[in-house]
Order: sequence, then structure tokens, then C-alpha cells
Amino acid sequence: MRSRQLVAGLVLAAAFVAVSIQNWAGNDLSLKAIEQLLVFALPLAGIYALAATGLVVVYSTTGVFNFAQGAIGMLAAFVYWQLKVQWGWSTWIAVTVTVFVLAPLFGILLERAVMRHLAGQDLVIQLMVTVGLLLGFVGIAVTIWDPNVGHSVPAFFPEQGFQIAGVVLTWHRFIALCVALALVVGLRFLLYSTRAGIAMRAVVDNRSLAALNGVSAQQVSMFAWALGSSLAALAGVLIANETDMSALGSLTLATLVPAFAAAAVGRMRSLPLTYLGALVLALLQQFASLFLSFGGRWAQVPNRIPEIMLFAVLLMRPAANLRFARLTATRRHARVAKPRSAAAGLVVLVFAIALVGTLLSSANLARLDEGIGLALVALSLVPLTGWAGQVSFAPLAFAGVGAAAFAHWGGTQGHPWALLFGALAAAPVGAVLSLIAGRLQGLYLGLATFAFAYFTGDVILNQPFAFNGQSLTTPRPTWFGISFNSDRAYLVLLSIAFALVAFLLVALRNSAWGRRLVAMRDSEAAAATVGVNLFETKIAVFALSAAIAGLGGGFLAMFYGHTASNAFDALVGLALVLQIVVGGVALVTGAVFAGVFRLPIQILQDHWDSKWIRGLQQIAPGFAALGIIQSPDGAVVAIADGFAPLIPGRTSERAERAKRTRERRAAARAREAKIPQLGLTEPFTAETIGEIERRLGIASELAAGRR
Amino acid sequence: MSRLAVSDVSVRFGGLLAVDGANFSVESGSVIGLIGPNGAGKTTLFNVITGLQTPSAGSVTLDDRDLRRAKPYKRARLGIARTFQRLEAFGSLTVRENVLVAAEMRKRWATTRYDAGIVADKILARVGITALAEARCEQLPTGSARLVELARALAVDPRILLLDEPSSGLDEDETDALGALLVALARDGLGVLLVEHDMPLVMTTCDYIHVLDFGRVIAQGTPTQVQTDAEVQRAYLGSKATM
Ligand SMILES: Nc1ncnc2c1ncn2[C@@H]1O[C@H](COP(=O)(O)OP(=O)(O)OP(=O)(O)O)[C@@H](O)[C@H]1O
Ligand SMILES: [Mg+2]
Repeated sequence: MRSRQLVAGLVLAAAFVAVSIQNWAGNDLSLKAIEQLLVFALPLAGIYALAATGLVVVYSTTGVFNFAQGAIGMLAAFVYWQLKVQWGWSTWIAVTVTVFVLAPLFGILLERAVMRHLAGQDLVIQLMVTVGLLLGFVGIAVTIWDPNVGHSVPAFFPEQGFQIAGVVLTWHRFIALCVALALVVGLRFLLYSTRAGIAMRAVVDNRSLAALNGVSAQQVSMFAWALGSSLAALAGVLIANETDMSALGSLTLATLVPAFAAAAVGRMRSLPLTYLGALVLALLQQFASLFLSFGGRWAQVPNRIPEIMLFAVLLMRPAANLRFARLTATRRHARVAKPRSAAAGLVVLVFAIALVGTLLSSANLARLDEGIGLALVALSLVPLTGWAGQVSFAPLAFAGVGAAAFAHWGGTQGHPWALLFGALAAAPVGAVLSLIAGRLQGLYLGLATFAFAYFTGDVILNQPFAFNGQSLTTPRPTWFGISFNSDRAYLVLLSIAFALVAFLLVALRNSAWGRRLVAMRDSEAAAATVGVNLFETKIAVFALSAAIAGLGGGFLAMFYGHTASNAFDALVGLALVLQIVVGGVALVTGAVFAGVFRLPIQILQDHWDSKWIRGLQQIAPGFAALGIIQSPDGAVVAIADGFAPLIPGRTSERAERAKRTRERRAAARAREAKIPQLGLTEPFTAETIGEIERRLGIASELAAGRR
Repeated sequence: MSRLAVSDVSVRFGGLLAVDGANFSVESGSVIGLIGPNGAGKTTLFNVITGLQTPSAGSVTLDDRDLRRAKPYKRARLGIARTFQRLEAFGSLTVRENVLVAAEMRKRWATTRYDAGIVADKILARVGITALAEARCEQLPTGSARLVELARALAVDPRILLLDEPSSGLDEDETDALGALLVALARDGLGVLLVEHDMPLVMTTCDYIHVLDFGRVIAQGTPTQVQTDAEVQRAYLGSKATM
């Protein structure tokens, strides 16, 4: 293991040197230049360290990895703007109110209303709820603070500072640096010398033991969220002056991805290593901007340094232990459709979509087209995430790969087989991603695919062999003498393609391989001990998923007609992933939901245009994610269950469900009642400790560690 | 005739020596007991044998083949199957599908051709859970879920079967049936390694017993020998299991 990390480190160092020499801008690497580098990098490192610390504190004490961390910082920056610029409050009061009053309150509110219910849930659900909040918060900010109106917060003590090494260190940056340093010291004091801090560390070390010693996990969790969102707010307020506030997405990600990268260096728990990660990242970024110049096809590389670092750091992790069954609170009840009934359902679906298409205005018809195209891409997550339990944020990136291959290999001339080439080109990319990232599990795999998606969208897809920074002509086809040029005709083609892929997937789910994937998700350890080669299986399912996404990419390209890499933006991809999880990621109908989710809001907006309805398009998917806490199988299942009593012959189902719920609750109460007695009258057995862990919803890693 | 041998295996978790130079072997055609108080290292040894845990020292061999480099799935294909103390049934699959996954997987390396569905049904019948075939595993009580794991392990068609507390959650009649099944399996040529806290079950089914305490084999022998061993009495003193 050690030697592997050493080799990886050497390879990275060599790559770094090679890239630097290739793109050297021509400045001398003098002592003065290095001083300048430090002057620029240190304050930035401070801001990153703040954001990353918030992430680590929350993750290590509550087990929830907060994708919304950057969005909380972004909201704080706008609140600060509101107080300071709009209402003219003094800087100190505005900062204090934002960072030390509103942010912690917001954190506590989040904890009580949402995060508390995430303990012990499936990882996909935990991640998606915070991803949903990320998108929802961005939506709220866009709605309240119109991005077309300039918002900019002045620096603390604008235009002032002092000279070091020939460059001005502004007071603003100096303050950022000092605050970060103060926090390093302060947090150490907090964690080692205060009761709250010691309780927190106890929970990190061993949750069940901490609970038995009277540490209230809930209080600790609330405190962690208050602290985490305060740190996020501080980072957001400090960085707002450095970035363009009108680009909300980039303001959100300005601290988020660097925080991910820094926290990954600290393995999500070590604060000193996290600070080191923040420092290295800031140095790399400033080094690139001072000494390197990237042009042409590589122009986006400097902006993607955090993603590159995140990916590299994750790859250096040692291989994870095999996953044991998670003791999750969620119970899945979704029935597995048989191919025959699925076929009937899909035929009905094709007709239904075509029918709806005839009722829509032309603008909404185009949106439905795009939605079904996206649904096809979303299908790629059904085997990967829904069955095999592998988290991926990259479906749209694979669609981009597929679209580029499609365009290059006959798509511009409208050849039908170009679609196949798109799928075939994406499959090996998926296999390679799995080959290098497949050793990772859960959260780490998710983060790696997240970094991959960003890098692919910005850098890979702009290479000459892909879109080359331009848009390519990808016309809709004429096949068998039928032109699919109109939106209506293309809609039919799209929904038939969707139905065919969906049918193949249902058939696959009922095959030996499909069962094997589900088995792997339920318990990797048990799957391995019946002879399943996990490595091989993961590569295969990643390749299949990428192929489906690649096929969808080709169809999307034909829909757009002119396709550029920005159609496969990672943030849009994130929203798509969120929407299929909300719809039901194990079901092909969940993908339809993902594709058409926004359509009703768009229709509503046509009739009744207001700022808030427009905002709802972004807010709704975000907050819909909260629904999966209640119905982890997804909205489609919840809706179907809701309708079931209306269908003759299924009336008893609701009663049965209610009975099951009652029984579950009673059983849970009985278990709960047993806990205080455990250990008093009889020694702990693995069984009883298991019970305690189950009740406390301990994350699987901890549980697995005990075995 | 197969033989699984554990030689000088030690496992260290930080400062804790969970297994300390354990030595024993299991041969086909016999039921071997592995008993010991809570935390003695029994489950850890199972993890070492199946490749889920790398030992700090020592080796595991199957028919003199060193398994050190064999991944867990390879060991399964060589004929080692197990059940888990903390349930690891495939929760979202039905009972029959759990067994089917293993039976279908085995086609990859089996030398004979067979219908996985028929094999699965036969095994369900043998373990006595045919009635549960269509139930989802996560909805089963502990005892039944353990039987599912046993059935799933049998579908691997193993030469050596490792069972980690298979009787917990079963009532007395079911435990008796389990004991009879284990004896029958051994008679069919399977080597069974049984970790169990239910002493009557151990004493009636095992041909030979190893007693583990603090990671070391402190005693071994036939059930009668072990029952009267002074070391064993001491190790179990204060623990709830009675000999
Ligand atoms: N992954 C791990 N990390 C740290 N310690 C562990 C780990 N797994 C087991 N242990 C410790 O190793 C010792 C042996 O555990 P093991 O589960 O093998 O015991 P056991 O004999 O199976 O006990 P029981 O009868 O309770 O099942 C225990 O003290 C346990 O706490
Ligand atoms: Mg055990």
C-alpha cells in the first residue's frame, strides 16, 4: 500500500513538473516571485481552510457530508451584502450578525429540520438531500437577489493594505489570513479544552460509547452544524470580494470544491492535514496563475485545479475494505417489474408522451423533447446507482463524451449508427473511470465522479477530438424515409428509444447479472464470499451505464441541432442526478420523472410569470429531495402507492401498508425500550451492541470496523 | 478429501491482539467446533479464512495451497463458504433469489452443467425454508435470515463451510433440526467449522472442538474432553455460556 502511494506521489510530481515546463509563462522563479506567491496564496488558503474545517467538523461528528456547505457560504455572502450594502450597516455589525448570529441559527435549523433525520440513511439519500439543498439555496438566492443586477461587496478597508515583496497585501486578505490562523488555535482549544469539544471528539471516536457515557449525540450534532455553517458563512463572506457574485454557481463552488479537496487530504477527519491540503491547493492555484499560462485547448485547466487535486488525492487513498450490509433505517419495498408487464407499461408510456406532446405549446413541446432526452441519460443511473449502489455524479459527462463521438463519427451527416458509436465510445471511458476509481466506495467514489464530471465538462470535452470549444452541427435524422426534424416527430423517436432501453434494463434486472448487482449493493462482503468478483462487476456496470448515457448524449445532440460542451455542464448533471434519485433511482419510471420534473413548473410559468415561479424551477428540485427522507424508494413509488387504492383489486394494499407501518413502529418502540436495560443485567454481546448501533443509526464504516 | 489449515495466524487491531497465533484445521467429513467467550477472536478468524481480513502473521491453506494472495471471491471459488454473525443476507432480494445468486455465480467455475433454479429449490428444501422462498430477506426475523445465509452458502457447493453462530434466533426445535442438518452435511463429505454459543448444540454435533480465548487456542479435544478441561472452565467463568 505504502509503495503504491509513493509511486502515485512520484507520478503526480512528475506530471506537475512536466505540465509546468510545458506551460511556463516565462517569469523567473526568483525569491521575490516566491514571496509574491505566498502573499497571494496564504489568505486564499485561509479561506479554504475555514470552509474545509466546517465540512470536516460536520462530517466527522454526524456522518453527513454536506454538499450544501458552499451554498451556505454563498447565502451568507448575499445576506452580508444585504446588510452592508443595501441597508448600510457597518462592516463589523454586518459580519457579526451574518457569521455569528444568523449562520449558526441557520445551521441549527437545518439540523433540527433535516439533518437529524438523515442519520443512518442510505448514503445516496444523505448525499442527495444535501445536493438538493445546494441547488435549492442557489435557487433561493437567484430569486431574491437578481443575478443580472450587480452585487459586489466591498473589501474590508478597500484600497488599503501594505506592501510585501512589491505586491500589496490588502487588509481584506490580511484579515482572512488572521481569522484563519485564529481559528486554527481556537478550534484546537475548543476541541481539547471545552466540554462541547470533548463531547464532539468522543462522538467521533466511538458514537455508541459516547452515548453510553451520557453524551447527547443530538446536542453534539446541533453544535457541529452551528459551527459548520458559521465557518461556511465566514468563508463565503471573505471570498465574496474575490469572486464575481453574479455567477452564483461559481460563488457556491468557489469554496466548495476546494473544501472537498482539502478535506480529502485530511481524510475527512484530521484538521491539521486539512489545513495542509488547503495550503497546497492555494499554492498550486496561485503558482499556476503567476507562473504558468494555459492557452487554447487547456485554457480551462487553471480553473479546474481543485477538481484535479480532489481526484488525485482520492486516488491515493488505500483500497477500502469490503462493505458489509448497512444497518440503514430505510427499507425498500419497490417491487421488481417483470419484463412482460414492463413492456406493456412502456408501450402505454410512449403513447402517453406522444399524446401529451400534441397538447403542449411549441415551447413546452421542445422542453418535453429535451426532458425525454435527459431521461434517457438518467436511465444510465438505474443499473449503476439504483441496483449496484455505486454513487456517480457523472452521467451528463458521459453523455457529453457520447455526443462528441456521435458528432465525429457520422452524426453530422445524420447516420443512425453514429448513435451506436457514441455509446461505444462512452463505455470504455466509464470502464476506465471505474478501473481507477472503483477501489473507492460511497462518498469517495461520489466525490471522484464529481471531480471527473467537472474536469470532463470543461477540459476533456473542449479538446480538438471532442467539441474543440465550438458547437458542432448535429442534425436530426431522416430514417426509413421519415424525417424526425419536427419536435413532435422527434419526441416520438425519443420516447421509443427510451422505451427500448428501459425494456432492456428491466430484462437485465430479472437476469442473473441483475440480481448479482443488487446483491453487491446489499452486501459487498457477502457477495464476495459467494464468488462475485466485485472489481470486474463494477467495471462492467460502469461501462454499461456510460454506454447508456453516451447513447442519450447522441439523442440530446440531435435534439439541440448545434451542440457544444456547455450542454453537458456538471451543475446541470448534478441536478439530473438529484432528480432521478427523487423520482426513484432503481426504477426506469424514476428516469421519466427526472426528465419531465420541471415541465409543470414551466407550464405554470407560461401562464403566470413571476419571479418566484421562475425561481421555483431551481428551488423545487432542491427541496423535493427532502421528500426522499420519507420515501427512499422515490416519488414514483410514493405516488404509485398513493394511487393503488383507486385501482380495483388493490384496495387492500393501503390497509396492509398501514399495518406494516404500525408493526414496524411497535417493534421499534420495543427495541428502544430495551436499550436502557442492556448492559445492566447481562454483559454486552455483539447482538446487543448491534442493537444499540441500529438504534443510534451508526454509519456502516463504524459498524464494519467493529467486526 | 479437503483440508483447511490455519497456521500461526495473528491479527492485530492497533494495540489489540485479537487473534494470537491460532492453529487448527478442518477436514471434510467432520464438524469442528470453534468456541470461546465473547471477543475471543472467532469472527475475526472467519474473516481471515475468507479473505475479508488480512492477518498480521500466519497463513491459511486449503489442501496445501496457500491462500494468502487469493481474494475473497477466489476463496469462494476454491470451495470455502460462510455465514455471518451480523446478518449479511441480501436484504432487498427474496429468499430464493439469495440462493439463486450464489447458484448462478457458481456456474462460472462449476465443472458440471446444471439448472440454477432447480439447485436453489433443492437447497431451500434441505434447509427447510421453502415456505419462505418469496419473502424479502430484510423482512425476515433473525433466525430465518440465518438459515437463508446457510442456504446461500450451500449453493456455493463448498468443501469447507464456516458457520458463525447459526443457531441464534432459532427456537429449540429449529436448533435441533439445524444440528441434524450439519451432521448430515458432514456425512455427505463437507467440512464444517462451527462457531456457536449454544453449548448443547456444539456438544451434540461436533466431532472435535477448539477453544479460543484472547485469540489463542487454549484447549482442544472431543466434546467430553473439552467439557472437563480446567482451562476452559476458567475461560468461561463469569461469562453467561454454561458448559
Ligand atoms: N475491525 C476491528 N477493529 C478493531 N477491533 C476489532 C475489529 N474486529 C474485531 N475487533 C476486536 O477483536 C476482538 C475479537 O473480536 P471477534 O468479533 O473476532 O470476537 P468473537 O470471538 O467473534 O466474539 P463474539 O462471540 O462476541 O462474536 C474483539 O475484542 C473485538 O472488539
Ligand atoms: Mg463473533
